[in-house]
Amino acid sequence: MIQVRELAKLYGTFTAVRSLSFDVGVGEVLGLVGPNGAGKTTTLRCLAGIIAPSRGTVAVAGHDIQREPIEAKRALAFIPDEPHLFDYLSVEEHLRFIARLYGVADVDARIPVLLDELELIEKRRSLPGELSRGMRQKLAIACGLLHSPSVLILDEPLTGLDPAGIRRMRETISARAAAGAAVILSSHLLHLVEELCSKLLVVRRGECVAYGTIDEIIAGRPELAGRSLEDVFLALTAEAQPEAGPAAGPGARPPA
Amino acid sequence: MSAFFYLISRSAKNRLAGLARGARSPRYLVAFAVGAVYIWAFLIRPVNRGAATPSLLGQPTEMIITLLAVLTLMGSWIFGSDATALAFTPAELSLLFPAPLSRRALIGYKLFRAQIAVLINSLIWVFVLRRGGSALPGPLRALSVWALFSTLNLHRLGAALVRTSWREHAGAGLRRHAWSTAAFVLIGLAVLAGVVQHRHELVPSFGAGAFFTALGRALASPPASWGLYPFHLVVAPTFTHSLPEWERAIGPALVVLALHAWWVLRTDAAFEDAAIEASAERARRVEAMKSRRTMGVVKPRTATSTIALASVGHPAIGIFWKNMLCLRRTAQLRLLIGPTTMAIIIGGAIAGDEGGVLGVVAAGALIFAAMLVVFGGRLIRNDLRQDMQHLPLLKTLPVAPGDLMVAEVASGALPMAALQLVLLLVAYAASFGSPFVPLKHETRLALLVAAPFAVLALNGALLTIQNGTAVLFPTWIRLGPAVNTGVEALGQNLLSSIANLFSLAIALIVPAIVAVGTVALLGPPRAITLALLVIVASGVLAAETYFALRLLGRAFARAEPLSGA
Repeated sequence: MIQVRELAKLYGTFTAVRSLSFDVGVGEVLGLVGPNGAGKTTTLRCLAGIIAPSRGTVAVAGHDIQREPIEAKRALAFIPDEPHLFDYLSVEEHLRFIARLYGVADVDARIPVLLDELELIEKRRSLPGELSRGMRQKLAIACGLLHSPSVLILDEPLTGLDPAGIRRMRETISARAAAGAAVILSSHLLHLVEELCSKLLVVRRGECVAYGTIDEIIAGRPELAGRSLEDVFLALTAEAQPEAGPAAGPGARPPA
Repeated sequence: MSAFFYLISRSAKNRLAGLARGARSPRYLVAFAVGAVYIWAFLIRPVNRGAATPSLLGQPTEMIITLLAVLTLMGSWIFGSDATALAFTPAELSLLFPAPLSRRALIGYKLFRAQIAVLINSLIWVFVLRRGGSALPGPLRALSVWALFSTLNLHRLGAALVRTSWREHAGAGLRRHAWSTAAFVLIGLAVLAGVVQHRHELVPSFGAGAFFTALGRALASPPASWGLYPFHLVVAPTFTHSLPEWERAIGPALVVLALHAWWVLRTDAAFEDAAIEASAERARRVEAMKSRRTMGVVKPRTATSTIALASVGHPAIGIFWKNMLCLRRTAQLRLLIGPTTMAIIIGGAIAGDEGGVLGVVAAGALIFAAMLVVFGGRLIRNDLRQDMQHLPLLKTLPVAPGDLMVAEVASGALPMAALQLVLLLVAYAASFGSPFVPLKHETRLALLVAAPFAVLALNGALLTIQNGTAVLFPTWIRLGPAVNTGVEALGQNLLSSIANLFSLAIALIVPAIVAVGTVALLGPPRAITLALLVIVASGVLAAETYFALRLLGRAFARAEPLSGA
């Protein structure tokens, strides 16, 4: 569903992302983790077509995001950590707007279900300025899910959600993956990543330092066996171990 | 205060550094060069003193400026202040409001910060007035304009603070500000009484000079002159012609300025500490609305009713629908009050004595329609100038960039064209009842038939220029729902409006050549050929605009959000 090859993004002389390659298949959930400033958001923005890669290719549902952006974007949903909402559209109008852009014919049937699922049904006529931070995040999530995307890109999607909202979102991600969606989840909540993700991509300073299932990654670093994911993450991203990278084990090798 | 100075100076330095970094790209570099030439040609280029028109600094201009200042400030009192009077950025609100600072310190910071805009615009007006024939040395002109703009800025801030007190404390707020409220009411009553008292001279005084002369007499005689006196004191130094005259005028102007500063800072004593919390709460709501640089004057109304939208069809219609809801929920009718007033006054002057009331209506409607072409794009901003704030979201939508550009520009151009067509219809209908109409009926009808094409093409072209600027130079222009409409920002607004019109003039070259060619082919235009001519020229302009929109679509596809990783 998602194929990334040799993805690089440069801002002048600064390299934000350096030659990333990975795949996310049908029903897979890839966890994208790394310290602040590692290039996670830049990577996700390249995948979503918000910014153009300096090098490399990104294919979404078989469409190159640069050459066939409309077809690729029709298949994906990008949910950022900071919800981008229009101040003058109500909750329901946001969904109707998205429905028109993605051509969701049965929007009248979908909206109540989605709003009910995200506990926004009573706020359907409210403007974003009248919503709490968490509710605005839920609305952004609703907009992302409305057209049943086959590719979900989530950048810290749980920011601002209450515990019930987090649980519900966790269930939603699992359900979408089970239904066949390819999901990329960027989060600092490692227990969530551990619970939801079938594969991990660990980045530091724009470079892949580990890629594969958790077992594959640990197989490449036997000294981390039996440690928590947090310990594994800290060991992989520690500045004192620059050699920790794709060569660290079979799991760290990106696809050809 | 040193912390405030540090904040302002570092912000300015970093902003300039950011602009300089941006100017390294060829696109910004070319724009910078064009802008520099434009500013040089418009403002700095040496003027031929002999050719300079002294009328710009004459008595009528002084009277009109005084009246405009009073009307603007009255607007602040009656309708609330505009976007900049109480504006704090989200960062200022989250860092300064919870800090251990008194409200007086915050107001002082606001005044300090406002001085940047005041100084820039003072500088622009110094050059404009020099071209208008002022013989005063530059520094004295600058001091005069600075005193005028600073006073107006202080007055608007004071009005905003008093209105806040009214709103939050109702009767108590009114009592606390009894003196300033009474002064405002007295000034308003004095001006109104003066106009009413001279209504017999004003009403029949239709004619280019007669109306303004009569208005000038009305405002220069008691009781209107009493009400306008403090404002006259502030405006006077800017319009003096000699050094002794200026020396007599500047003292009282500075006294009025000092009184305003004292009034605004003293307003602090009338607020409890809770006012800061209330302001912060309002700011949080504003931040939630993401109007990042303004203070909520365009807060959307509640979504009580909507416009139907089919869920399938061309996605660009969805963008247009969204922007129509934006216009419906954020349109500010008060912004039309100024242009309407000016259109009526100028219409009255143009219609002349023999025009009658319907002549005034016809001329006023035509003037208003023309003013919308020039200023409409500044009033209606439901397009990319707002949406560029949501660039990451827009870029994930499955809409072709060229279609998106067309939809965004149409969102502003179509409502404006509709309003202009209504005005033109009013003018056409009124022209039948006016004894003095300069054009024949066939010509008027021909122009009316061609008008929809012309207004659509003109609005489309102008809004394409303004939206194109937002796409190509997002870091150089103010994005968001509102522009700075304060009097002290007149200089910047004037510069950008003239630049837009200059760009439109370039776009009109090809349509003009086509029109001239058509005339050469068909001979002198009669009514029907005149309509045809306008339609063909509009078609050429529309084709140019469409081509430009497609190119801008490509630029939009390459545009990236400013934040990095």
